[in-house]
Amino acid sequence: MKSTMVWLAAGVVAGALHLGVTPPAQSQGLPRDIPRKELLILENPEGTVKNAGWFNIWAINANSQSNGLQQAALDTLWYIDPDKGINGVWDNSLASEKPAYNANFTEMRVKLRRGIFWSDGVEFSSADVKFTVEMMIKTPGMRWSAALANSVASVDAPDAETVIFKLKQPNSRFHALFTVRWNAIWIAPKHVFEKVDDPNKFAFEKPVSLSAYVLHSHDPDGKWYIWQRREDWQRTSLGRFGQPAPRYLAYVDPGPPDKRVIAQMNKELDVVHDISPEGMFTLARQNPTSKAWFKGFPFGHPDPTLPAAIFNTQLDMFKNRDVRWALTLLIDIKAVAMASYRGAATISPIHVPPTGRHPEFYHEPMQDWLAGFEIDTGKRKIKPYDRTMAKQIADSLRPSMGNQIPSDPAEVARAFGTGWWKPDQAAATELLERAGFRKQGNQWLKPDGTPFTIRVVVEGDARPIMTRAGSMIAQSWRQFGIDARVDVAQGTLLTRRAAGDFDVILSWSVETWGGHQDLSFFMDSWHSAFVAEPGKPQPSRNWQRWSHPELDKLIETIRTIDFDDPKGIDLGKEFVKLAIREMPSIPLMSYNVFTVADETYWTGFPTADDPYANPVTNWGNSRYMFVKIKPKN
Amino acid sequence: MRVYARYFVNRFLQFLLVVFIGVNLAYLITHATPIDPIEHTVSVATAFGHTAPEAVAAMRESLRELYGLTGTPFEQYVNFWRRVLVADFGPSLSAFPTPVSTLIGRATPWTVGLLGVATVLTWCIGNLLGGLAGYYRRNRLLKAFGIFAMALHPMPYYIAAILLLIVFGFVWPIFPITGGSQMNLAQGWTVDFALSVARHSVLPLLSLVLVGLGGWFVGMRSLVSNIVTEDYVVYAELAGVSRRRILTSYIMRNAVAPQVTGLAISLGHVFSGALITERVFGYPGIGSLLVDGVNAGDYSLVLGVTTVSILGVSIAVFVIDLLYPLIDPRVTVS
Repeated sequence: MKSTMVWLAAGVVAGALHLGVTPPAQSQGLPRDIPRKELLILENPEGTVKNAGWFNIWAINANSQSNGLQQAALDTLWYIDPDKGINGVWDNSLASEKPAYNANFTEMRVKLRRGIFWSDGVEFSSADVKFTVEMMIKTPGMRWSAALANSVASVDAPDAETVIFKLKQPNSRFHALFTVRWNAIWIAPKHVFEKVDDPNKFAFEKPVSLSAYVLHSHDPDGKWYIWQRREDWQRTSLGRFGQPAPRYLAYVDPGPPDKRVIAQMNKELDVVHDISPEGMFTLARQNPTSKAWFKGFPFGHPDPTLPAAIFNTQLDMFKNRDVRWALTLLIDIKAVAMASYRGAATISPIHVPPTGRHPEFYHEPMQDWLAGFEIDTGKRKIKPYDRTMAKQIADSLRPSMGNQIPSDPAEVARAFGTGWWKPDQAAATELLERAGFRKQGNQWLKPDGTPFTIRVVVEGDARPIMTRAGSMIAQSWRQFGIDARVDVAQGTLLTRRAAGDFDVILSWSVETWGGHQDLSFFMDSWHSAFVAEPGKPQPSRNWQRWSHPELDKLIETIRTIDFDDPKGIDLGKEFVKLAIREMPSIPLMSYNVFTVADETYWTGFPTADDPYANPVTNWGNSRYMFVKIKPKN
Repeated sequence: MRVYARYFVNRFLQFLLVVFIGVNLAYLITHATPIDPIEHTVSVATAFGHTAPEAVAAMRESLRELYGLTGTPFEQYVNFWRRVLVADFGPSLSAFPTPVSTLIGRATPWTVGLLGVATVLTWCIGNLLGGLAGYYRRNRLLKAFGIFAMALHPMPYYIAAILLLIVFGFVWPIFPITGGSQMNLAQGWTVDFALSVARHSVLPLLSLVLVGLGGWFVGMRSLVSNIVTEDYVVYAELAGVSRRRILTSYIMRNAVAPQVTGLAISLGHVFSGALITERVFGYPGIGSLLVDGVNAGDYSLVLGVTTVSILGVSIAVFVIDLLYPLIDPRVTVS
């Protein structure tokens, strides 16, 4: 009996060792037969791709976008960088010039580069652009069909390098459809898609590429994709900046945040897309080759996106701005920053993300206006702005984080933001009372005498940062006597947000270009014409369903001026002032993404000191990294 | 024989009824989801780019048509059954237009392979050692194993899995921590691929076996402990029958019958997938597919996976019902 047991145990151990004791490079998560020194491994945050062999990005939601397809293989007319850019914020990619509109913005002319080739040797031309547009207009249900059908009256290609769009109505921002922020309308290969009966049902299994990489191999189960540098990379728009250094790119699903940390420490993941603040701190402490956007705190790359506590302004209780302001004055942003990002947050008091070039256009010039901004509570006037709030966060972190926390005021502002709204319970009480609310015992009641309850909808584990922020905000309101409860939406968040099924939701309704002053990217959709009736789905992004005649006027004026017109900044400031007065959502901070690059094999990743590209791996413009990084040794 | 045929028909009708009720319940529940697949698709598609709001409304309309979500609820229900009867669950809404059956077909071998092996292995080791421990009650090695298995059994699976991951994936990194096979290795019937799959499945398999062992072990030990006091066992011992024969022919054979039922049900559950294992170890499989489907409101996909799962469990129970009279002579078809 004993001998049976011993043999059994020995068998198990031998089996385990046989499978486990192999050379490290074989036993770990690295691709076979690809030299590590020629390979850059990046996280694809989409995780495991269900429909792995599908590369038709023009079909709606049929496949992966950020498995390397949009970053390494596709291209379009223009790119805007959320920071400074490789050669300025604006890059003419397939286009050779900026878009040229006629005087009333009903026509847009595009000049294209010549000498750009698809990976199968066919030359790219205006015919591809025209075909892409017409294919989507003719085939309803494709990713950009509705957007194009809505705007384009006709598209012509009079010669190989010219495209002329005739628009159905004046639109000074039509080019935005072809300008990459995160993505844009990618140009499809005419010579492939013209042979297809139904483009909605064509998998494009062997994608031809227009950018510097072409598909090498992929996992049929959607865990990894490997792209190989084209031999003729000079014949792509990226070739203008030199040879992309990695011969191979692998976009992989490394699993949950803990595993991403392990994978980077095992040197199996060069660029992490995002991890938790705790994971970031671990890498900063234990893996000296890990580099984030900032050298020290707050580490993460501030995306041009503004997480906010968004009111459903169609609800009676939030129709009065006094109520919205009262709730704002009950929030301690320092506590929210600590709860959500463990302090590693870049706060914003205004409805513009404090990222890219926005501080230079909006946050800094508006400091005096913010400091002088007054609220009349009915009993007194208060100046709620505290311009030292970010400094206070930095100071509170210094004892535990030491010299990782900058002390230079400019550095503090760049990393943590500037000021925010002072918590003021007395003023909140006065504002609520003026709005007809009253406190009975320890409970606030609405003007109709029913308890003042607020459902704060958060996403849950899928977005822990926002969930923690929402919990802290609900706690602040509860402590004041408002019955605020956190409602975890999980997978239902998108549906509920669109349906207006929330009182307050932790989400974002403000996204901007980042590197460019224009705010139309989100603002145009805030026009009152697009606000849905209660209960009906709301088109993105005005989730607060807020409308205001002054806002409409601003939007309509912006539509009539050129994208680069400096007047856009003044109009943007007017929007900020209106949004502050009305407070349809409470701006919190930028969406800081803890993208971490490991410099064991590659160096020269973009950072706050050299912000030539967005390092966040799923952004289309992360492609500029490939031409700037260098192999180590 | 005629009695057995009647028994078969009875059981088969019961099986059909269970499947019918199960699939209908799954249909009702999935269609009651608060997630609208159209809204989800629109939100994903417009999440990053610049899309004019009026275009979004047009997008909604064309998607409803494209996904075939038009028609009355009754028409949709009839269409569903028409498709199910030919094993076609229609296109996945979150991976349109790929058929749900293709997605399930791709994920199932991984799940069935891992969970099937883990279930059988856990069952064999747990029952063998449980049986031995019940019979050789003074054996120290078996006692030690009992303590080990009992200590692991109540541990939350997630913790055990993470511990294995940290120990063998980071502290002593001898096993891969993610994926079903090595990157850039073509899938196929090759020794290389088989070895790679085996290597990648060690940690997920070990986690499932370690945590699952205790249940079978304790169950079998209790069954055997009861049987050893039965008269026929005592009589066999007094008659000088060898201990090995008593254990295998008199005790284990009798004790194993209820365990076989448990095994069959466990094998049926294999088709439900092992979500936590798949998530922690980045292992491909049907569990992640199901959760992705739920989150995207993709009721075609969710229905496909749940129907396969209902069929798996029902078939397992049906087969066991048919085999029981043959395995255990005490059970008669009457």
